[in-house]
Amino acid sequence: MDGITYPVLMDANHRVTELYSITNIPTVVWIDENDKIVRPNTAAPGTDIFKDFTGVSCEPHIEALRNWVRTGEVDIEPDAAATAVTGLSDDEVRARLHYRIALHARRSGNDDAAKAHFDTAAGLAPHDFTIRRSAMPLTGGDPFGADFFTLYEEWQAGGRKYDGLPTPT
Amino acid sequence: MSEVVVLAEDETRVGGAISESGVEVDAAGLAAAIGWELKPEGLCRDEVCIPVSDPASLALGDGYDLTAVAKAIGATALVDTDLGVVAVSQPKAQRNVAVHDMMAPELVLPDLDGNQVSTAGFKGRKKMLVVFASW
Repeated sequence: MDGITYPVLMDANHRVTELYSITNIPTVVWIDENDKIVRPNTAAPGTDIFKDFTGVSCEPHIEALRNWVRTGEVDIEPDAAATAVTGLSDDEVRARLHYRIALHARRSGNDDAAKAHFDTAAGLAPHDFTIRRSAMPLTGGDPFGADFFTLYEEWQAGGRKYDGLPTPT
Repeated sequence: MSEVVVLAEDETRVGGAISESGVEVDAAGLAAAIGWELKPEGLCRDEVCIPVSDPASLALGDGYDLTAVAKAIGATALVDTDLGVVAVSQPKAQRNVAVHDMMAPELVLPDLDGNQVSTAGFKGRKKMLVVFASW
């Protein structure tokens, strides 16, 4: 793609969400020169397109990012950074396995088996957008329509689970 | 022996069989599917070995019980007998690299042109991992 100089990698099997315990996107992680994670999972939009809906402005994170690049200063205390991500629960690990089998079944043309595994995955990780929302377009749902708003309301009612640094609201 | 599809880091088809006794795969299939093999010093992958107190507990038929091996390396396996498919998670120690040890695990993933790219190539620079989806 013209103008894009950073690498764009595709992760069809959701390995990144498993290894970083990511349950929603956009999520960003700062990684220093020695591959140490200095600022873990943060819900950080790149623009303000959805600011009215999410209540999250992109500017504070971008300003902190610029400062880290220039000075090496991280705007989070190391103790807070080290404890921000708790890791996937056993159910969330199993949800990813059901998701993997669902993808395989779908590719094999076995839509009924795929649906059953997608549904089981959603039941095990009901507030994980990388499971539930990403399954919507694969099962005839609309990730920008009624299915999404149902998920969003359940997620809010469930305490806005996010495994990472708290997002200002 | 028929075929088993293993969904781990990649999707692999190996010789094996799923029965009520478990998921039987041979040694070559085990290494091909999840990268681990049983040696005298234990279950090994690259330079890492995990001692196994009772190697017989990993055996099934003429090969290995994939579910038992997964458990021994700290991973979770999920079997769909009807589909002939086994999905295997990353071992807990691997899932702890980012979450607990605060180190970026190396990942090899395809770029938009299909080239395999290792994240190890970015060492020595500050990086921001942006995880995004178009849904």
